[in-house]
Amino acid sequence: MTIDPVLLQQIINGLSLGAMYSLLALGFTLVYGILELINFAHFNVFMVGSFVGMWALELFGLSGQSITLSGFTLVGVLLFAFAATMLVSGVLGVAIERLALRPLRNVSGPAAMITTIGVSYILFNVILLTVGAGSLNFPNPLPRMRWVVGGAVLELRSVLIWGVSLVLMLGLHLFVSHTRLGKAMRATAQDAEAARMMGVDVDRVVVTAFFLGSALAGAAALIFGLYYNFTSFLIGYTAGLRAFTAAVLGGIGSVTGAMLGGIIIGLVESLGGHFFEVRWADVIIFSILILVLVFAPSGLLGRATPSRS
Amino acid sequence: MTDLKAPTSDSGLAERAATAPAAAGLSLAGLARAAPLARIPPHLRSRGAALTMLLLAALFPILHPNDADIDAAANALTYASLALGLNIVVGMAGLLDLGYAAFFAIGAYAYGIAASWQVTPLWTGYWEPLQWLGLVARFHQAGGDVVHFQVSFWLMMPVAAIVAAFFGVLFGAPTLRLKGDYLAIVTLGFGEIVPIVVRNTPSLTNGAMGLNGVAAPQLFGWSFGIAATPYYYVGLLLVALLMVTSQRLKISRIGRAWMAIREDEIAAAAMGINRVRMKLLAFATGAAFAGATGTLFVAKLQTATPEMFMFPVSVMILVMVVFGGVGSVWGVVIGAMILQLLQSWLLQDLSGWLNALGRLIHSGWLSRIQLASSIELIFGLILVFMMLYRRDGLIPATRRQRALSLGEQHAQVGSGGIAALKGLGALDDSRDGPLLEIDNLTVRFGGLVALRSVSLAVRAHSVLAVIGPNGSGKSTLFNAVTGLVSTASGQVRFAGADITGRPPHVVLDRGIARTFQNLRLFPNLTVLENVLIGMHARLHTGAAGALLRLPRTRREEEAARERALEILSVFGNRLLPRVDHLVSSLSYANRRRVEIARALASQPKLLLLDEPTAGMNPAETLELAGQIKDLHRLGLTIVLIEHKLDVVTSLAERVIVLDHGERIAEGTPAEVRRDEEVIRAYLGRSAAVA
Repeated sequence: MTIDPVLLQQIINGLSLGAMYSLLALGFTLVYGILELINFAHFNVFMVGSFVGMWALELFGLSGQSITLSGFTLVGVLLFAFAATMLVSGVLGVAIERLALRPLRNVSGPAAMITTIGVSYILFNVILLTVGAGSLNFPNPLPRMRWVVGGAVLELRSVLIWGVSLVLMLGLHLFVSHTRLGKAMRATAQDAEAARMMGVDVDRVVVTAFFLGSALAGAAALIFGLYYNFTSFLIGYTAGLRAFTAAVLGGIGSVTGAMLGGIIIGLVESLGGHFFEVRWADVIIFSILILVLVFAPSGLLGRATPSRS
Repeated sequence: MTDLKAPTSDSGLAERAATAPAAAGLSLAGLARAAPLARIPPHLRSRGAALTMLLLAALFPILHPNDADIDAAANALTYASLALGLNIVVGMAGLLDLGYAAFFAIGAYAYGIAASWQVTPLWTGYWEPLQWLGLVARFHQAGGDVVHFQVSFWLMMPVAAIVAAFFGVLFGAPTLRLKGDYLAIVTLGFGEIVPIVVRNTPSLTNGAMGLNGVAAPQLFGWSFGIAATPYYYVGLLLVALLMVTSQRLKISRIGRAWMAIREDEIAAAAMGINRVRMKLLAFATGAAFAGATGTLFVAKLQTATPEMFMFPVSVMILVMVVFGGVGSVWGVVIGAMILQLLQSWLLQDLSGWLNALGRLIHSGWLSRIQLASSIELIFGLILVFMMLYRRDGLIPATRRQRALSLGEQHAQVGSGGIAALKGLGALDDSRDGPLLEIDNLTVRFGGLVALRSVSLAVRAHSVLAVIGPNGSGKSTLFNAVTGLVSTASGQVRFAGADITGRPPHVVLDRGIARTFQNLRLFPNLTVLENVLIGMHARLHTGAAGALLRLPRTRREEEAARERALEILSVFGNRLLPRVDHLVSSLSYANRRRVEIARALASQPKLLLLDEPTAGMNPAETLELAGQIKDLHRLGLTIVLIEHKLDVVTSLAERVIVLDHGERIAEGTPAEVRRDEEVIRAYLGRSAAVA
């Protein structure tokens, strides 16, 4: 049996997109799992992260696609870029929690969510006003290695994306399931009040969730830059909404669900363009979002129904 | 009546409160001495203020004939009407809608298509009637005549509102089961889909290029053209109309139902509000406002592109509502005007001044700065700071009442006069048999059996107490009867009719009202509003009635208020001086009383009280027990869950004991007290043996 090479190519592309959406979806799901808050600021933490990643790469004199590195230099530069982007994004996430969201922790209703929309707007416009509206060329130091698999082209950057995402998701999984803080996170997600009474420092758990989620958004942002070779103040909204759809599809609050949902949304995006017209891809994705929320609000792997009363 | 220490100024309080709806306007007399304006009654004062504002707004283009400024003001009015529409959905009904601009788009494109050259089907005879009505014209063209749509702006405005309302119901229907954040996301999804569909159907909308050449409105043959002033006046009239609409809805039965849903959906349903219908009505009303506004917007611009209706527009309208005051009609209008004028006037001027300053001090950066582009940054900052420091907005929807003075609080604490309460417990006495019959009722929560084959019967005009240890299924019994939990098997019959599994609002309508163990009041509404919501099922005013405010509606509303005060007087002077206070400011015991008053307001035949005296001190308990006894004497049938056995003994004729979801005993209070099963359930096996 042979697969249509074009289809195979779309699957490879879809998996790369999906890995990025998974990383981004994890941030939504971590925060939602603990605070039951949809964090719209996450969209633009991702966007800011892509600029941080770009500046981190430019520190090494890289710009555009003309300079490529190899060997240990490449590994070192990439490691530094990922570490710096994730750290800065993580700190940004923590700052947002600390300054804007913690005072609203015990306020009922949509106040906290409206605040995250406001924060998202602030990040968006700070970048727009300082960097400008044009899209910028993202440095890509990866050598042009490619292999032909079954008629489709597999590029080094796809392999790199898969590898990085796998490592990060595995790391998150180990952290949540095997560390003391991870256990505290799971406890808080189930019942914050009970966890607090058992001596869990809920503030610390919340800060950790924001840090990890935002750091993963930073990694996703760097991947975005390396994959698409550009960044702009606009990228947060579309990518963020797709990643959010992924989190909902997988079952918001569920870590494995977010990973699975991300892959599915990535495949829907690339295969949707294959089977339908590209311009309808967004309609398909938003329809999935609405249909899941309306008919199966706990998603593929979620546990709780989302309706709180 | 025995309290001689009550200050004389407060002694007539109960009477005054009972006769005048403005019971909390106690300080009015004091104010009148201070300011002559205060001598005018409050409703006339606010009407006068509104008319003055309208007059000033109407004079603005004459006093300041600058076309650019009038244009900016006309745009601001457009956004004010959008904010009013979103305020219905978000502010009153509490449904967070992040895709509101979609309805704006639908209204805009409805007029845009009906008054432009975008769609030109071939001419056939079927179009003749429409041509005769002046809606379409026959246009001669090489290759066959085509139809040119030229529907009048004035006709299209209400039509676009109806079309948008239809989509409001369409988008609202699937979201009805969702709450809060999830509702927001689904509406955001619809808000994204609509502009994409518009962009991707160029045959109808000209796609991303935008609709062009939309006809300007005409009035008596005179076209509005591109001058801003006529649009300004249409916008002003639209805003005035929508404000009156909002205000009238807000103070009507409909508005109260919306606010009840916003405050507590479950309690709203238990008080007889049909949630599905009311939420759809809110969506439809909000969408209709946006649809009508879209007509004006596209007529003024004479073009429409999908980019005009994207997410940032929805957020901007939300910012206006949040900034002005969620739920406050004047607040959102003023919020929208300030933000729009900030954008088009203040930031422009400020940029000009800063640029001049920059040239003066040779600062290249300062001389180029353009503040208008930072408006979205300002929106973001406004959202965050309003949420952090002033969640009620510029003009809060509810004004806090001052707390009562010590003297007022202690004036005439008595059991009140309930010699008679109209319509209370009125039954069709020709019918025999028990009022409420429960047959083998079983309720399961997953693996847990909360009620196992429970049967009981409640005679008309009797008092039945349900007792049992914690977790024995008492509240579940109430929830199953009132339709809040679904039953696995068994039957509930009320007045002979099967009501098993009927939704809560239907159960209330049949005549069963209840209170909740953990209090489910509407905390940000006043005592009076809470009680009026209890009357929802007994009042008849619909949306149209609320808008027209015909004499019939006014009479109904006045009678409802009078009756609410009559019911509140059941609790003597506990609640009457506080009718205009927010429930969230009341003491715990008073909240319990409000909940009972709210249940009584629905004119129940059967009242279910879930631990009515919980959290009350012995004196308050005694007082309330006396009041419940009075209600029973007036003919009301009562079932109560109670832990205080002296209350049970003094009130109930019969007692039913539940344990682990099963009925273990029934009898008079004395019999039940001696029952060994009961002693064992409460005190354990050894106590029963001893």
